Amino acid sequence: MLTTVLVIGIAFGIVARQSGLSPAEIMAMSLFVFAGASQFAMVQLFKDGAAWPVIVATVLLINLRHLLMAAALRPYFARVSVARRLAAAYVLTDEAFAMAIGWFRRGRTELAYYATFAVALYILWNTATAIGMLLGPSIGEPRRFGVDFAITATFIAIVVLGVRRGSDAIVALAAAVMASVLAYVGASVVAVVTAGALAPLLVLFTRGEPAA
Amino acid sequence: MTWIAIAGSAIVTYLVRAFALRVALPSTLPRGVARYLDALPAAIIAALAGPAVLVPNSVPTRGPELAAAIVVVAVVAWRRNLLAGVLAGVAAVALLRLVLAA
Repeated sequence: MLTTVLVIGIAFGIVARQSGLSPAEIMAMSLFVFAGASQFAMVQLFKDGAAWPVIVATVLLINLRHLLMAAALRPYFARVSVARRLAAAYVLTDEAFAMAIGWFRRGRTELAYYATFAVALYILWNTATAIGMLLGPSIGEPRRFGVDFAITATFIAIVVLGVRRGSDAIVALAAAVMASVLAYVGASVVAVVTAGALAPLLVLFTRGEPAA
Repeated sequence: MTWIAIAGSAIVTYLVRAFALRVALPSTLPRGVARYLDALPAAIIAALAGPAVLVPNSVPTRGPELAAAIVVVAVVAWRRNLLAGVLAGVAAVALLRLVLAA
């Protein structure tokens, strides 16, 4: 898991730098947004020239899934002070959640484990971003070496790793095709993101339990 | 512009996370809502990736991007490794463009 975070962080630094973002902007994204998939989406949207409200709305949609974690974590955070909960929230990620919930369910109640792991991920992600950012300019002419495809390939890989059942794959394909048709007829990036937000409604017609 | 987008994204991301840990949500979300939220991130990311595969630069792909996308799906599904998939996809697209240009 830590290797994956390192690799994705380096990849993020490289594609962000190649897209023309400044080092300060790239580090600010990892330091303050600290959400892998959203950061890649932001780079893509900056490249597409999307307006800032579109970017913020897209990031919100991608991160709404954290609400799913609330119900699972609530019993373990019930007696934690508000200040600590608000601090813990800053470093809440899918990875930290997965490790913490496994630990809590085995009967450990102390938050030190969550805090240590979550903060370690934060440091690792930012270090990896910095490494990628420094490597970025040394990779030559993007189009010739297919580097312009790296961010798309990263999106595809993130989606494939997230597919746990047939309906996930159908939703992702539907979103990709709808978005492509809209982009082809000249619709704005708002329409493309909306296609992504509407596609998951398909799962409401299938049976099965949410994984989280 | 860029800085407003970064600041705004940081704020909404933190608010969602803080809401998740701070506010007493019902112990189980309605099933439909939970399933929608579960499927949402992958769908948004797929929507962002779709046009770059099928209509790069607003014209239908001549093949390299679609073939490379299939390579990425195959490699990631097989190896469960993001980096291997991305490297294979980048190599595939570079090679296919070279072949088509020749």
